[in-house]
Amino acid sequence: MRVATDIGGTFTDLVYVDENGHIGIEKTNTTPPNFEKGVLDVIKKAQVDTKKLSMFIHGTTVIINALTERKGAKTGLITTKGFRDILEIARGNRPDLFNIRYKKPTPFVERYLRIEVDERLNYKGEVLSPLERRDVEACVEHFKKEGVEAIAVSYLHSYVNPSHEQKTVEIIKELWPEVHVTASSDITKEWREYERTNTAVLNAYVQPIATKYIDKLDNQLRESIEIDQSYIMQSNGGTTKFENAKAAPINMVESGPVAGIFGAAVLGELIGEKNIIAFDIGGTTAKCSLIENGEVKVSTDYYIEKDNRNAGYPIKAPVVDIVEIGNGGGSIAWIDNAGSLKVGPHSAGARPGPVAYGLGGTEPTTTDANLLTGRLSPKNFDYDVNMNNIKEAIQNKIGNPFGISAEEAALGIIRIANSNMLNALKLISIRKGHNPQDFTLLAFGGGGSMHAPALALELGVRKVVVPIASPVFSAWGMLMTDLRHDYIQTYIKRLNDLSLIEMDAKWEVIENSALNHYKDEGMAAENVEFHRFADMRYLGQEHTVKVPVPNGKWSETDKHTIIQNFHTLHEKNYTFKLEDSPTEIVNVHVTAYGKVPKPTIGKITRTGTVADSKKENRDIYYEQKGWVNTPVYDREKLPSNEVIHGPAVVEEKAAVTVIYENQQLYLDEYGNIIIEMEGK
Amino acid sequence: MTTPVKVDPFTLEIVKDSLLAVGDEMFIALARTSMSPIIYEVLDYASGLTDAKGNLLTQGNGVTGFIGMLSFMVKETLRKYPGNKIKQGDVFIINDPYNGGGSHLSDVGLVMPIFHGGELVAFSANKAHWTEVGGKDPGSFTNDAVDIFQEGLQFPCIKLYDEGRVNDGIVEIIRSNVRFPDLSLGDMWAQVAALRTGDRRLNELCDKHSRQTILAAISYLLDHGEIISRQEIKKLPKGIFEAEDYIDTDGLGNGPFKIKVKVTITDDDFICDFRGSHPQVPGPMNCSYTGLVSAVRVIFLAMTNPDQDVNDGVFRPLQVIVDRKSIMSAERPVPVSNYFETLLGSLDIVWQALAPHLPNRLAAGQHLSVCAVTLSGNHQDTDEPFLIVEPSVGGWGGADGQDGASGQFCIADGETYNVPVEVAETRYGVLLDEYSLRQDGNGAGAGQYIGGKGVVRSYRALSDNQAVTVTFGRNKYYPWGMKKGHLGSPNEFYIHKANGEVDGPYGVYPRYKLQTNDVVRLMTGTGGGYGDPLSRPAEQVAKDVKNGYFTIEEAKEYFNVEVDSQTFDYTELPRRTS
Repeated sequence: MRVATDIGGTFTDLVYVDENGHIGIEKTNTTPPNFEKGVLDVIKKAQVDTKKLSMFIHGTTVIINALTERKGAKTGLITTKGFRDILEIARGNRPDLFNIRYKKPTPFVERYLRIEVDERLNYKGEVLSPLERRDVEACVEHFKKEGVEAIAVSYLHSYVNPSHEQKTVEIIKELWPEVHVTASSDITKEWREYERTNTAVLNAYVQPIATKYIDKLDNQLRESIEIDQSYIMQSNGGTTKFENAKAAPINMVESGPVAGIFGAAVLGELIGEKNIIAFDIGGTTAKCSLIENGEVKVSTDYYIEKDNRNAGYPIKAPVVDIVEIGNGGGSIAWIDNAGSLKVGPHSAGARPGPVAYGLGGTEPTTTDANLLTGRLSPKNFDYDVNMNNIKEAIQNKIGNPFGISAEEAALGIIRIANSNMLNALKLISIRKGHNPQDFTLLAFGGGGSMHAPALALELGVRKVVVPIASPVFSAWGMLMTDLRHDYIQTYIKRLNDLSLIEMDAKWEVIENSALNHYKDEGMAAENVEFHRFADMRYLGQEHTVKVPVPNGKWSETDKHTIIQNFHTLHEKNYTFKLEDSPTEIVNVHVTAYGKVPKPTIGKITRTGTVADSKKENRDIYYEQKGWVNTPVYDREKLPSNEVIHGPAVVEEKAAVTVIYENQQLYLDEYGNIIIEMEGK
Repeated sequence: MTTPVKVDPFTLEIVKDSLLAVGDEMFIALARTSMSPIIYEVLDYASGLTDAKGNLLTQGNGVTGFIGMLSFMVKETLRKYPGNKIKQGDVFIINDPYNGGGSHLSDVGLVMPIFHGGELVAFSANKAHWTEVGGKDPGSFTNDAVDIFQEGLQFPCIKLYDEGRVNDGIVEIIRSNVRFPDLSLGDMWAQVAALRTGDRRLNELCDKHSRQTILAAISYLLDHGEIISRQEIKKLPKGIFEAEDYIDTDGLGNGPFKIKVKVTITDDDFICDFRGSHPQVPGPMNCSYTGLVSAVRVIFLAMTNPDQDVNDGVFRPLQVIVDRKSIMSAERPVPVSNYFETLLGSLDIVWQALAPHLPNRLAAGQHLSVCAVTLSGNHQDTDEPFLIVEPSVGGWGGADGQDGASGQFCIADGETYNVPVEVAETRYGVLLDEYSLRQDGNGAGAGQYIGGKGVVRSYRALSDNQAVTVTFGRNKYYPWGMKKGHLGSPNEFYIHKANGEVDGPYGVYPRYKLQTNDVVRLMTGTGGGYGDPLSRPAEQVAKDVKNGYFTIEEAKEYFNVEVDSQTFDYTELPRRTS
């Protein structure tokens, strides 16, 4: 038995798979601030056989919550002399261009807790001024006096030579064993001091909370359950052991959401789809990510609280590339001062929620629009849905200002919401040089299946998959993960002058350290798999393109191929290549997977007839068509491989799929809903 | 000719959003492929779409100062190539400051017509600061040019591409006239690629929704901007508001120069009258009329609605009046390298005039200078030449309810990024001694809400024969305080020579020679304070002292708060008002 639990804002989800490949799901309420209670609750509620849990995998929002709610520890920072204000000056940028009252993000460490020591390296990592022990002692004394709970250490050029940071950490641990310490170079080995320093600071800031949480969860689980292996989901789409998670908790910043993206890749492999656009619609946001050739894209260009008005805080941790927009089921529709209809980013949240919930919500939401157009039925809700209230809200707030009916207004809301989502989907596909026709849209989360068929028509993808366990697909994804560590290091080398011997040695050092790391985690070397990448650019450029590069020793031919691949990728991403320009490596990147045995997903053959699975006929308001009497089917009863032609609706627990006139769907052998254009 | 079609409001909204998304995409494409830090870190460029008449539809900005310049470029193209002289596949290159360019020669603009089904539907345009366009000094823009001819190559709106064929002659002229041709040409190709992205996307939109729908959405977009803008003007105070100030110098030692404005706001109009300001000057601080319009647009947006989408509809209620050949409406052939300082000065006086009446939108004065630094030399390890061209961060003014931001680029910059120390030390032949917040020690920026701190950035030369050119405005006239808030501090720099001599302070200086281990210590101004320092809560003052933002002496003298140097406990002194 394997169990995955995923803590979300509203619900804590659980998915399990037993030895026969049977999958089960459960949900309970999330229980802040004692999140571990929700985990234990959902395990109890699911009645999983707790005697023989071979694997427990956990996704958590504890880290991101501690950051956004500013609930972390009192943190001190030690920096190179002359540079304690790096954290406050940051990059000086201002996305809110015309705002003379711009508020800069406040550093997570106040100035009096940022202490400089007289050490200095140059850009080659050579020591210009040695580190003095007494300086570190003075810092410790100051921090003790001020009641600091965690310390970050970040020196210039530590990505080339981490020795001063390491020595500082050693001294601190010797003098003050109980304090939490983070060296920037232990978290990221990329250049740019502000980004690296901020990453180290945020890691230190959440470390005490993360440690406490993980220890508590571990202890309480072990009281009642026997677990062979327990893992925590990281933002890079892989897992790590509890002990590691405590050392680098910042790597869990997007612990939950990325699991769904990763799950999409795994499911894609199972059903033979290598190119996937993963699309997750929840209550307040929609998230999407592109998977090419089975590879989930991971980068370190991650920020919290960054938007088109705020500079935010960079975190140089490997995070799955996700584009997230403020459009979900609860997004509020409104009209701006000049009379344009907008949907989101404000959400009605769980309370009061959409008008449909009857909990006092008065602002029309996407969910309400889906109800009024018949895409959702009042029967889909646990609440008593009052359709008159919904109609009235949409008519008054949206219909009347435009002089149109409530139904037309509701359809307008859906179209605007779809347009917002479509722009996000284009951002990760067409605008990165991909042709959507080469991709399958895999839609999950509470609202994914509702909107995906319409978006597929707009985007031109050939197939939509609504996977098994789609409403709790993130937790499903966790069941399928491997251990994963990403090693990214700034290593600036021109390809033309590159010494192959030196390059091979560089890879070897990184891969050996990965092997040692896995050895400590009890993972045998034969189960470790390396994927290498080089972040490359034309000499003089700043932004890089991630190029997959071969394992093993490189030959001159390999080097040539790598350069050619870079030109091709550059052209794909940016429409041009400069074949005469010299190319340069900026970062080397090794992804090390620790392969764990996966559960086998059982096939389902469901017999019966389409007619038996039909629940009712319902009027649905479609674009251009108006009201169409549409058959509604029960996903749990759909027979395998029987084609249903659109327009049609398929309902399941907590999700609804709506297909259009020219679309058809069937249930595949794993129980996924496959939607295609008719005649394909 | 197209006839207007009626399109449902949601389709218009969706197409409008798609147009804005195209603008964003073009913007990102350019940064991602540029060769020059001035573009990809400083984001000293703008890109966007205009309609077929040159009205701005959407503009992605790295810097605010470019707002409006794209439309002038397109309009100049339409003026120079009337009738059907603009063909599909053409790309025009333009940097003429007086006609359509609007800034200085370093900012090179490209304009591409977008055709659909043989009809001209829009233009795709961008403008980017090239690291080099030739001229008398490395980096091209300079402090002591006496005419435009010393400032670099001029592109007077000519065809870089003629129906899709590149004009190799122009490329060769650029290659042989600029100091870093790979950078400049690399940026030019990146600009062309970004324009083509706009062309392709707009054609896709026309294919999908029909050309008529797109054209309807374009006029909807412009009208939408105007409606919002007029609503905002109605909320502004009505009347006549005046202010005057000075531009420090022209770089040749002349100055200061008085500038003045009379702002008239009615229910429907926003009129800025700069008549009576100083005539154009011999040195390169002149700004052209287009630059002045951009200045007014920036401050107008700041005062009305900083959140809105920006297009030419928004600016329909704006009027700018100015004498010909003034320092802010210069004409050929006076030099314009440092036009941005006068652009800033012009927007600042509009700001000063309205600040007391708009506390919810405006703050006290800021360091207000791009604080441009150009540093050239050879790298100590590779002997390869390097060139730093960068703006500097400084302090912003305090405002009603909030302290000013420390270490921000001035209002004419925007989504501009400083160059990381680690990147600078790798690329350039320098070591940074410090990058820290400035401690003035004289109560600069004191107030109920304090001015943000200026910044000290010190470059130590690691090879001989380096030269640094510094252009710091607001060196003689300090950032202004409001409502009893104190003045900020000046932008200035010192040279600390290896032999111990200290030279300075200076504001504007061309090509100061640096030898190994000479240090140029660049200090940007702290912003002006807002409100009476005596009204700043004493507890906050004690915290300021603990954080090193003010000294114990400053706390006592300017805030009347006595702070203990060890415990940071505080006592309020008698003179303090409650």
